[in-house]
Amino acid sequence: MNIALLSGAIMSLILISIALILAVFVFYFYFLFKKRGREIIKEREESTRRIYELAILKELGERVGYSLDVEEILQIITGSLKQFIDYTAVGYIVVTPEKIKINTHIEKSVSHLFLKEMKDKMTASLSALTDQTFDKFKLDEVVSGAIVIDEIKQNIGSLFNIPLVISGKVVGVLTVAHINKGLYKEDDMTILYKITNQASEAVTRLHEVVRIEKGKLNAMVESMQDGVLMVDMDYRVVVANPAIKKIIKFEVTKDINIFDFVDTLGGKFDIHGRLEEALVNKKIFVSERININDSFFEIGVYPVLHYNPKGESQMHGAVVVFNDISKDIELERVREEFTGMIVHELRSPLDGIKKITESVVAGNIDKNSDKFDEYLKLIYQGSASMLELVNDILDLSKLQSGKFEVRKEQANLKEVINNRVSFYKVSADVKKIGLETYLDDSLPELAEFDPQTLKQILNNFLSNSLKFTSVNGLILVSAFVYDPREHFPKNFDRSKVPVFPEEKDIKVKAPSLCVVVSDTGIGIPEDSIKDLFHTFKQAKLSPEDGENKGTGLGLVIAKGIAEAHGGAIGLVSKEGFGTSFFFTIPLN
Amino acid sequence: MKKILIIDDDQFFSKTLETALPKERYELISAEDGEVGLEKLKSEKPDLIILDLMMPKLDGTSFLKKLQEDNDLPKVPILVSSNLSSVKKISDVMSMGVVGYVIKSDESLQSIIQDIDRVLGEDTTKGE
Repeated sequence: MNIALLSGAIMSLILISIALILAVFVFYFYFLFKKRGREIIKEREESTRRIYELAILKELGERVGYSLDVEEILQIITGSLKQFIDYTAVGYIVVTPEKIKINTHIEKSVSHLFLKEMKDKMTASLSALTDQTFDKFKLDEVVSGAIVIDEIKQNIGSLFNIPLVISGKVVGVLTVAHINKGLYKEDDMTILYKITNQASEAVTRLHEVVRIEKGKLNAMVESMQDGVLMVDMDYRVVVANPAIKKIIKFEVTKDINIFDFVDTLGGKFDIHGRLEEALVNKKIFVSERININDSFFEIGVYPVLHYNPKGESQMHGAVVVFNDISKDIELERVREEFTGMIVHELRSPLDGIKKITESVVAGNIDKNSDKFDEYLKLIYQGSASMLELVNDILDLSKLQSGKFEVRKEQANLKEVINNRVSFYKVSADVKKIGLETYLDDSLPELAEFDPQTLKQILNNFLSNSLKFTSVNGLILVSAFVYDPREHFPKNFDRSKVPVFPEEKDIKVKAPSLCVVVSDTGIGIPEDSIKDLFHTFKQAKLSPEDGENKGTGLGLVIAKGIAEAHGGAIGLVSKEGFGTSFFFTIPLN
Repeated sequence: MKKILIIDDDQFFSKTLETALPKERYELISAEDGEVGLEKLKSEKPDLIILDLMMPKLDGTSFLKKLQEDNDLPKVPILVSSNLSSVKKISDVMSMGVVGYVIKSDESLQSIIQDIDRVLGEDTTKGE
């Protein structure tokens, strides 16, 4: 019995223990599952919220699109807010340079007191964020949604503000308010903060794009040589670049208005009338040449139209462009002068020949007299100079049309120089001018160039030197190879001539043949030098003997020849002392 | 006997004109540029100047300007003879108080002499 009792007790103890252990397990698992279940629900809630947040962000993104209007974006945000936040009223405040705007949407009726409190809180928030007071600002206020009922004595229970930041600057505040207390959790604010932030970023990016593009356009307009003026529909100056201010002699840093233009242009150009034509009738106008302060302009007036994707045009204003054509007119004048000069130079000897013949035919000259011989010489000189001029003009037109040919061959530069020097020796002797050569040992026996055209350059240099050098002067023709990495040959005495190019004057990149014709002539005035190689503007120099006049075309042709060889031409001169003309031909 | 000063660097013209001018009526003095021309104007006191425009040193237009500016210089009728034929040039020069403008290559020596006769009042042609 005892044993049975004992064993029964033991059995029941074991059973109880097992039951207890089981219960513990059951509870353990129960709680474990319960906890997991809660977590699952929480996770589900979380992901739902996330999906929702994403959906709203996406929707906002699409609706905000490429709008740059902060207010429009705020409207979109406030409009879609009620999908995930419960509120009594939502609003925003934005600041512009001259005023603040408050826009409130009431979801459930509230009192004026509620609205005022909300407004004050918004302004205070913006004030704190921007560190500025808005007492003196004009206020624009819009209230929409449910009606205002002052009998509802409910104050703001919960409220939060989200700042709107564009390009690092607070431009507005978004405010959500509710009559119930303690309603808004961190999560709600985070979502709204994210949305606003996303919108801000999008707008900031767009602003940046616009700023860069605007900057490019501004820089372009600012740096334009042409004067540019743009006015809006009310003739207010929107753009006036420095060039246009300079044209009408207006201080560049000052603000300009349309009347400054009307005053300066006076009767020369009816700017107001032309702008009106452009703004009202969309008419383009381009003026004839107009003279303003010593310069000539062509003034164009154009309507500024913007075409939207639908093809509708919208008028933004009109633009006036002042195109400086002074240079064209100057070139025109120079060309005319050049043509006149050529005609004159051709006509003079021809006319002389004609007049001599006239005299001979009229029997005024005895055929056996000295006078007759003199006239024959004049006829010879006249026809020779005319032929030279005709050849020069032909060469020049070939050079200009790019048809000038150089026939390069293996040739000996020393021979070419000696040939020309001996040719001019006769005239030099007659004028009692020394003509010497220096041919450096560095010169190769053969080099690649066109000997005929090089003779032409030498003819030009030598005849010029002879023309401008007086009795007992000296002309020195020197030739050497110049390597820009090294110096001029040392064994060559340059002191014989007063002016000789320095190494810096001869700009070559590779070893080149260098030929210098130096004289002790009258030299060339500094301000004439730049025109010497200009096709239509040769300097008018007075030769020593007065007999040999030139058109100066020879130098232009010489330049063309040197350049056709890949070389260069240049000169150094000192008035009253002498001149050195030189050319280079690169060695291959 | 009238004295004519020709200021021209074109030897053809001065020499042929000298040959063609009747020696019994005219004496011709020549100057090869404007500077020499000014000197000869003072020393020779000519009755007429035949002036070229394109010349070294002092050209025809500058010569005319000097005459206008300097009141001490004798007032002498000036006939411009040049091969420059642009209308602008001619009108510019005519406005400087010259008695005539002759485009050299368009006129024969004889017609130039007739112009000289007319200016100096030595009209020998039995004109209409």
